[in-house]
Amino acid sequence: MAAHRVVGHTIGRVDGVDKVSGRARYSADITLPGLVWGKTLRSPLPHARIVRIDTSKAKACPGVLAVLTARDLPDVLVGRRMFDMPLLARDRVRFIGEKVAVVAAIDPDLAEEALAMIDVEYEDWPAVFDPVAAIEPGAPLVHTDPGAYEGAPAERPHPNVQSVLRFRLGDVEKGFAEADLVFEHTFRTQLAHHGYLEPHAGVVAMDADGRVQVWASNKMPFRLKELLSHALRLPQEKIRVNLTPIGGDFGGKGSLMDLPLAYHLARVTGRPVKMTMRYAEELQAGNPRHPGVITLATGVTRDGRIVARRVRALYNSGAYAAFKPAPSVNLGGASMGAGVYRIPNLSIESLCVYTNAIPCGHARSPGEPQMVFAEESHMDMVANELSLDPVEFRRKNLLRDGDVLPNGHHLEHVRAAETLDAALRASRWSEPKPGPWIGRGLAMGHRHIGVGFTNAQVRLETKGTVTLVIALPDTGTGAHLVLRQVVAEVLGLSIDEVDVELATTDAFATDSGVGGSRVTHTGGRAAYHAAEKLKELIRAEAAKLGVPEASLAAIAQAAAADGRKLEATHFYDAKSHAAVTSFTAQVAEVAVDPTTGQVTVRRFTTAHDAGTIINPIGHQGQIEGGLIQGLGYALMEELGTEDGRISTLSLGDFKLPTMQDIPPLTTVIVEDPVGPGPFNAKAIGESSISPVAPAIANAVADACGVRIVDLPITAEKVFGALRQKEQRS
Amino acid sequence: MNRMIRLTVNGESREVEVPTYRTLLDCLRYDLGLTGSKEGCGVGVCGACTVLLDGKMVSSCIALAVFADGRDVTTVEGLAEDERLHPVQQAFMDFGGFQCGICTPGQVVAAKALLDETPHPGDAEIREWMLGNLCRCTGYYKILESVRAAAERSRA
Repeated sequence: MAAHRVVGHTIGRVDGVDKVSGRARYSADITLPGLVWGKTLRSPLPHARIVRIDTSKAKACPGVLAVLTARDLPDVLVGRRMFDMPLLARDRVRFIGEKVAVVAAIDPDLAEEALAMIDVEYEDWPAVFDPVAAIEPGAPLVHTDPGAYEGAPAERPHPNVQSVLRFRLGDVEKGFAEADLVFEHTFRTQLAHHGYLEPHAGVVAMDADGRVQVWASNKMPFRLKELLSHALRLPQEKIRVNLTPIGGDFGGKGSLMDLPLAYHLARVTGRPVKMTMRYAEELQAGNPRHPGVITLATGVTRDGRIVARRVRALYNSGAYAAFKPAPSVNLGGASMGAGVYRIPNLSIESLCVYTNAIPCGHARSPGEPQMVFAEESHMDMVANELSLDPVEFRRKNLLRDGDVLPNGHHLEHVRAAETLDAALRASRWSEPKPGPWIGRGLAMGHRHIGVGFTNAQVRLETKGTVTLVIALPDTGTGAHLVLRQVVAEVLGLSIDEVDVELATTDAFATDSGVGGSRVTHTGGRAAYHAAEKLKELIRAEAAKLGVPEASLAAIAQAAAADGRKLEATHFYDAKSHAAVTSFTAQVAEVAVDPTTGQVTVRRFTTAHDAGTIINPIGHQGQIEGGLIQGLGYALMEELGTEDGRISTLSLGDFKLPTMQDIPPLTTVIVEDPVGPGPFNAKAIGESSISPVAPAIANAVADACGVRIVDLPITAEKVFGALRQKEQRS
Repeated sequence: MNRMIRLTVNGESREVEVPTYRTLLDCLRYDLGLTGSKEGCGVGVCGACTVLLDGKMVSSCIALAVFADGRDVTTVEGLAEDERLHPVQQAFMDFGGFQCGICTPGQVVAAKALLDETPHPGDAEIREWMLGNLCRCTGYYKILESVRAAAERSRA
């Protein structure tokens, strides 16, 4: 492998000084002359008819500039793929936290006071909260005619079904007929917020040319422009999205949220409008991770070969489908029902179901932490039934070169076995455990390398440096630095000779933005090819100049003197997934306290099949960050609900891991540079999160013989299960 | 009801009229234009709004502005001296102690407060002190490393 000068080295972040010194301006920090504040009133009921809204008292408040209800807005529905959500509830509310009115005031506190003066009369309707109950005959209907919504999938076995996603391989009936034994288990996963610490924020202003200027915590500026154009009934050219740093995304920052309301307030008041959600609003009405009920049935031969599997996932999607961006309006993670295994006969069915609960959206590796928890727990349970070692059972069935994934992709360069071996070795899997009530658990996963389309423009400056122009926000991953490294590497420059300039949505025609583990691939390849083109231009210009050793500055100046700029743009469009994927294998070692049921993770090992690593510190940061999110998901994070009401309305009640919760960690990289990204990079952002919960669940079972099938694995659940086990014996 | 308060912010004397219900965080951000301190949870749990009040760490989202009357406030904007980053800020840069950066102002202020009080903390002390500053990006390993490095550098 060729040695790289810049790629593969740890280099300081583009945005470092701004972020450590407080200078970075996030959306909530944007201020403009005459700026006013928007705040929303939310429904206290899960399902009700709005009889009457009286805004007169709020309107009379000093400092209040506008109070709007659905009556004051055009009758449009918004969404990312399926358009089923009103800007403000019209005649009917479908979940606690749905927006019914919005206020603009000169001060945020005044705006909140004014909300309390809006009088809404509701007529309570029967509601449904459980996804299993929601698709029974006679269940209350959350929407009257969901099939009529723009972007609604055609298949709808029940009016409360948003979408059905299926994957099939072979002939599952025939496969089960061939099986010696069939095992079936059901798992439940919880509702969980992403936990980004920046609540959604945005500023909307009308400029002197009549254009709408937007600053928003949104990771897909071009898609945002399209969606706003749709929601506001404005041509796209009338809208400009200005990029700001994003205070954490994890899949949650791709929706419109309050931006259309901010626009209407700006239109009515003639003032720039800022809307920021309180964290309680995030927890009540963000776009959290779907809770799921997942059943797996696996048919095996007596010697442990998987011959068939049927998977059914039921996701509680809440009152609207609007937050899901995939064309299927479902969660692609359902395909992980096959795990990292060769399953010749497979049927996966994933249903997203309407209920009168908080609408769910995409969260880091959408659908995967749910499915991988179920699937990898199920693997251990089946191994146990077969009296097989969980490692051996997995090994017998691991994917190999040429195997097919549920989505039909044929795989090459499969590194499942190598990654498993690396994790086992580093975790000292086969050594005796240090004491009683201590257990080890294993889980595996894989994650595709994202696709999409991105622009990069590179320009040689007359001072001899290169500017990389992109319109891709950095959600925190350090993507801008990665792209800068790629350009520096191609052009043979030092990192300091490449500057990053962040453009607006005016700069390019379109761009798929950030998400789905795509940026190093799509942005990286765009930057790579743009830099290659610039290199050619520079070479030609140098030849024209006739000075073989001419400096870049001299070349740029010569071109400038001629009235020309040396710049190149590349639009990179990766349409389909590569034949390679990235495998992860993790081992948790836990201790269970028999008197309380408390689970402590004593140490954790994570092994990753990675491509060329462009920025080691950023790569490791993705592994560690995702892993601790996985740990929180496994052990503590849960939005409590009571009849559709979120009962954990602060970060004091919705627990996220702190620095006290992190276990000693060993990371192993199985480097295999065959990825589709620049310099053969692969993806990492969504790799480490999903296997954590099943690794811990499997370790708990190993430690104390109880199997927890619903997340999170709290002390109460383990203690209860230990008690039951005691009573049985 | 409004009140005039006088406070020292990052060494500079400031006078500002605020409603009595104004939080110190909102006063810093809206009245004084210092947007470095962030609102995360808004209930004193996440630490993104951490500032020093007379040298002691407080969550400015649950402290009232009038409470800071006559006192000395240090925010993230006040850590660097003459454009030279504070050793804690430099360590966060060098060791990957931040990703999205939204919690970082609070993290660096909290870490500075720790090192002011305990110049050479052990890992257990760092973990105990920093547990009030949530971070959702890094998984904390690199924050721990950054704080440790800042302490070690000051020893050298």
